[in-house]
Amino acid sequence: MSERVSTKLRVSAVEYLNAQPLYLALAGNPDVELDTALPAEVARRVAEDETDLALMPVAAAATIGDLRLVRGMGICARGKVRSVVIVSERPLEELTEVSLDLSSRTSVVLARLVIRHRLGGKEPKYVGRVAADAIASIGGTTGAVVIGDPALRIEGKPAYTLDLAEAWREWTGLPFVFAAWFGRPGALDAAQEAIIQKAKVDGMARRDEISDAWAKANGRDELLASYRSYVHDTIRYDLGDEEAQALARFYEEAHKAGLLPKAEVRFFDQDRDDVASGSKPAQRQSLDTLLGRAADGERLSAAEGERLVAEAELFDLGLAADAVRNRKHPHDVVTYIVDRNVNYTNVCTTSCRFCAFYRPVGHPEGYVLSREVLGQKLQEVVDAGGVQILLQGGLNPELPIEWYEDLFRWMKKEYGLGLHALSPEEILHIAQMEKLSTKTVLERLRAAGLDSVPGGGAEILVDRVRRKIAKAKCTSEDWLGVMRVAHQMGLRSSCTMMYGTVDTARDRIQHLVKLRDLQDETGGFTAFFCWDFQHESGVRIEAGDHGTMFYLRQQAVARLMLDNVAHVGASWVTQGPDVGQVALRFGADDYGSVMFEENVVSSAGTTFCTNAGAIEARIHGAGFRAVRRNVRYDWLNEPS
Amino acid sequence: MTDTRPSFAEIEKKVRAGERLTAEDGMTLFHEPNLLKVGALANEVRERLHGDRTYFNRNMRLEVTNVCMASCLFCSFAKLEEHMPGSHTMTLDEAWHELETRMDNPPSELHVVNGLHPGLPFSYYTDLLKGFKRIKADIHLKCFTAVEIHFFARHYGKTYEQVLLELREAGLDSLPGGGAEIFHPDVRSRISHDKATGDDYLEVHRVAHRLGMMTNATMLYGHIETFEHRVDHLLRLRGLQDESLALAKAAASNGGTEPRGILQAFIPLAFHPDGNGMKNLPAPTAVDDLRTLAVSRLMLDNFEHVKAYWVSSGPDVAQIGLAFGADDLDGTIVHETIYKAAGSNSPSGLTEKDLVRLIREAGRIPIERDTLYRVVKEYDKAAMPEAALKVRDRKAEKHLSILKEIVS
Repeated sequence: MSERVSTKLRVSAVEYLNAQPLYLALAGNPDVELDTALPAEVARRVAEDETDLALMPVAAAATIGDLRLVRGMGICARGKVRSVVIVSERPLEELTEVSLDLSSRTSVVLARLVIRHRLGGKEPKYVGRVAADAIASIGGTTGAVVIGDPALRIEGKPAYTLDLAEAWREWTGLPFVFAAWFGRPGALDAAQEAIIQKAKVDGMARRDEISDAWAKANGRDELLASYRSYVHDTIRYDLGDEEAQALARFYEEAHKAGLLPKAEVRFFDQDRDDVASGSKPAQRQSLDTLLGRAADGERLSAAEGERLVAEAELFDLGLAADAVRNRKHPHDVVTYIVDRNVNYTNVCTTSCRFCAFYRPVGHPEGYVLSREVLGQKLQEVVDAGGVQILLQGGLNPELPIEWYEDLFRWMKKEYGLGLHALSPEEILHIAQMEKLSTKTVLERLRAAGLDSVPGGGAEILVDRVRRKIAKAKCTSEDWLGVMRVAHQMGLRSSCTMMYGTVDTARDRIQHLVKLRDLQDETGGFTAFFCWDFQHESGVRIEAGDHGTMFYLRQQAVARLMLDNVAHVGASWVTQGPDVGQVALRFGADDYGSVMFEENVVSSAGTTFCTNAGAIEARIHGAGFRAVRRNVRYDWLNEPS
Repeated sequence: MTDTRPSFAEIEKKVRAGERLTAEDGMTLFHEPNLLKVGALANEVRERLHGDRTYFNRNMRLEVTNVCMASCLFCSFAKLEEHMPGSHTMTLDEAWHELETRMDNPPSELHVVNGLHPGLPFSYYTDLLKGFKRIKADIHLKCFTAVEIHFFARHYGKTYEQVLLELREAGLDSLPGGGAEIFHPDVRSRISHDKATGDDYLEVHRVAHRLGMMTNATMLYGHIETFEHRVDHLLRLRGLQDESLALAKAAASNGGTEPRGILQAFIPLAFHPDGNGMKNLPAPTAVDDLRTLAVSRLMLDNFEHVKAYWVSSGPDVAQIGLAFGADDLDGTIVHETIYKAAGSNSPSGLTEKDLVRLIREAGRIPIERDTLYRVVKEYDKAAMPEAALKVRDRKAEKHLSILKEIVS
């Protein structure tokens, strides 16, 4: 927020036809800065404080949490909505599989609630697919949730169409609210709200014009009449008491089903009225209630996560995280892995400000490990009973994809170790250099022996932070995109967070929420690790929030936020074996690895060495049994 | 056996009601599987006593001789005889010089502990103290463990009282807590059979208190002792403190103006195994360090201060210790050699800035104190993380309610 100079109201809206009547009249208003984007991007802008007010789907608003609504306006339906439907060739009761476009969370949640209700709790298998694949998958006992224009285009054609807003109304007797104007408390004053209200009035009058333009722009003249009736008759733009009640009901049902964080329906004007009348703001849930919900493993909104960070005591967080750990891993067992971190090259083109390891191309200290050296390292791992190699390096422009393929094949053939290799940044680097898609790179590397993808380089998945600490690094979306592709191919990966540079509490929570969202889509993350930026004099960046207590709090909050990630590992390599041990009582169920070397962290001055015996002693000292694992967290022996 | 022990919930109730814990309660606390529950309870007591106030001082450690007649199994510092390789005894000039070189930023306390050297005259020690006071008249001399006092008494044919009075005359201000190890004879006879017994140690402190001297106490844990031995150790200290507090109170009510000594702080010390007679034992882990701090805080209800000695556990774990019952980090130290000899990875000294940072990162208020816990400098809260400030507001409410419960 501090970077803002303009006093204009920043407004973002989803760029769909049904949204245009609410925001189009804002274009050209001198007091408003309007931009449009896809729903996920609009939600991101709100979460990262890049916009003040957003016309966005209601589920995304619940994930951010503690937002306020503009009264009177929304994208709603009373009965049929036509653009959010389950389409199939067989009746719902016979479906064994339903394709979901997981990028549209509101529709997904609504679909799942309606299906549960209709089938009495029974659910088909859900498969995440992009829109085109979802439609293509329809057939036999597979149905699909189809959203937006595609739904209007196939209207009337499939054998079975379940209109989800209509189904909701049959169930609850209420309308359904798909999207509305949301912003953080205090983001909008009464005068600004009046501008938004006026835009709606203007927009309502221009609906024909808007829908005709949409039809033309999309080359769909044949749907002219259908679009007109859609924005005139199908979509209801009023959000009155009944709609507010409907939204509250949706939030309640979704929360009960574990699909969304607990969310409230509260309007900007209610806050203003409270201030005006001098009455105390509405009672928020108590911190103890929130901690109890967290300990029970309930899904938390970003706002709730921020509140835990700001207000909860160390022990509150620790005990709640320990409770979650205990529920997810009830045998009092802590895992660890015997592997080796090999940095195959230190030559790198990104020059991240926090990294003391890299050398630029042509630097005399630059290296690429020879087969001889690698072979020796690998043999040592085999001899020590190790199960995998964590292979990472700089972005070295002199290594073509064939180099990696040859290396992987050779390593697999000669040593047979698990290959946990190449973080997303490296995958992207190879893809760009070779002009191949990420998918092709991953497919080729997998064919050559890649088993899983390490989650390094995530740092903080908020671009404002990434631009400051690592300009040349990939964007948050890129990083998540590589993981999405890898997961969709069936590869598993870990995920990480490096905090303690210019990141704020909000950034760190947003990072966790982004990981959680992707995990909802793919389920491909095995474990989460975090650590603070390891400060060293040669590094060109100041240390931000850090410290041992901070680490413990951070890890505990991550355990509470990442309800869909199975494992949390203690990062003893960065925090030291002592703090690593204590971290096992703050939500971690894994002690990381017996490492032979860790060049990146150790060049920043953190060198801890520990062996399997010492690791097991520490696990026991923390009150757990110890067991060795592989990269998929399978136990390799009996816990002892 | 375990079912005869009181439950954690019962102990929680007792602590909140301000009731004294028993040996059985101590065993429950050591065996409670949930470390954080023990820590949180100790933290309640710590905050009831001190809020977020967290103490440190500017001190300097000095070991003038490592020649020692005792043969403690846990010690990597002492060399048995003079002229053995690695043995060293400072001349008085050398010892004084150590302080002189620090006079640009002088410590407020000099903490001197040594081996039991058989070949030095008693005047060596009195001259040593006098010399330090000549260099800096107001330096607080916290010197000689009870084990050394006991040794002086035996070696030079004096009573404890005579030794203490003569040293005080020379400048001694208070006694450190070292040499306590584990009091119980079953353990002590095996790890340090040829120095002051547990009773001797306690008697030296008792005499010092009667003479009006402040003293401190320690416990060396994590070697061959059991939890029973630790609890026993804590209860013996608590017993002595009861006596000394009663005497101090009686003296005060009789209108006496003579100062009365008590035990100021308890400092648990983790055993480090490198280079000593128990090198095949594993060192206690951080979880044990934190639990021992917490149980100590809960058992020692008549001690004002419990110290997380960063030299023993490392600064990181000591920082966590500030949430597990400790209200003091000790000081700058400057030059520690005893733990170093036993393989500790801790730095040999920390700056005031380091200590202030460690305390603030833990969300606490740093207070520079002198040896007798008088405030030298109270740091502001401005640099505390915002999160810590909010947490503190909430805690303030909670503690108020606990206090109300206790009072009512």
